[in-house]
Amino acid sequence: MKKFLRDNGLGLAFGVLFLGSLVGQAFSGNADVNARRLADGGDPIGLWQYVLSSDFAVDVAENWQSEYLQFFLFIFATVWLMQRGSNESKLADRLGPESDEQQYLGRHARSESPPWARAGGWRTRLYSNSLGLVMLGLFLGSWLTQSIAGRSAYNNEQLVDFQDPASWWDYVLSADFWNRSLQNWQSEFLAIGSMAIFSVYLRQRGSSESKPVGAPHDRTDVSG
Amino acid sequence: MLRRLGLLATVLAVAGCGSGTEDLARRAADEFASAVSAGDSARICSLLTERAREHVDCAAVDLPGGEVEEVVVWGDAARARTASDTLFLRELAVGWRVSGAGCHPVPDRPYSCEVGGP
Repeated sequence: MKKFLRDNGLGLAFGVLFLGSLVGQAFSGNADVNARRLADGGDPIGLWQYVLSSDFAVDVAENWQSEYLQFFLFIFATVWLMQRGSNESKLADRLGPESDEQQYLGRHARSESPPWARAGGWRTRLYSNSLGLVMLGLFLGSWLTQSIAGRSAYNNEQLVDFQDPASWWDYVLSADFWNRSLQNWQSEFLAIGSMAIFSVYLRQRGSSESKPVGAPHDRTDVSG
Repeated sequence: MLRRLGLLATVLAVAGCGSGTEDLARRAADEFASAVSAGDSARICSLLTERAREHVDCAAVDLPGGEVEEVVVWGDAARARTASDTLFLRELAVGWRVSGAGCHPVPDRPYSCEVGGP
């Protein structure tokens, strides 16, 4: 048990933080929605009704899509782009998808390599891009969910404000949809870009997200 | 098997929520339109939201009325249309109530309503 907790500490810690934050979001979001409903002449709703509402769904989905977009772009960008001195970056001579030998594929596979790394053909091609593709799928799924739940929440606001509801196509072209999307994207891109630059010059002793404290600034592709 | 039937019943109940809500909103809009046609000022007033009632003399309400032809519901708000009128409704603890009646569209702005409205 102790070994399991140690070996899965990152996943477990962030899983607990995620659930705690989601519950906190449910309570604070419910209070916020109820304040707005009372202000515009409506009646408050209970926590469970709020958690099942489009208001909660769109607020959750708009953040999820931006996180998965961030990881999808970062995973693919780091194949081709580098940041000299950053431990998040590869060295210049390894830019691109790299050789089968460098990636332990086909006849270069190790005894402990995953079976699809050895299989060749479509299975190896698919497995070679599986991390990015799953992130892309989660991004697109979350973004679609945002558009559906967002339209529902938007149309409710429209009717409360004595205006006509919008079709799904009108909604995905609306300022509301793009404002929700872009305000999340800009913060994700800022976080990724600043992390890549900061990691050149700043250190966090013992973190795998940092170079060793004594590593020179222009040293790329090392972590401590 | 029982568990599967329970799940199916739950799914059907959830799926039916939307149309059930729409039926209730339509019923309130129908009642309001009938009260308008009958000139029943007490009934008209009782079907308005508190806010819509604030600046209205229910005895002097002069609206087109008519049969409700279309209802759209999103969350706790709805829009109902008769042949010659547009109504807006809200779902409150007491049921659906009319928040705007005699409403006319204004380009790029909220509807303008003779009773209630923005």
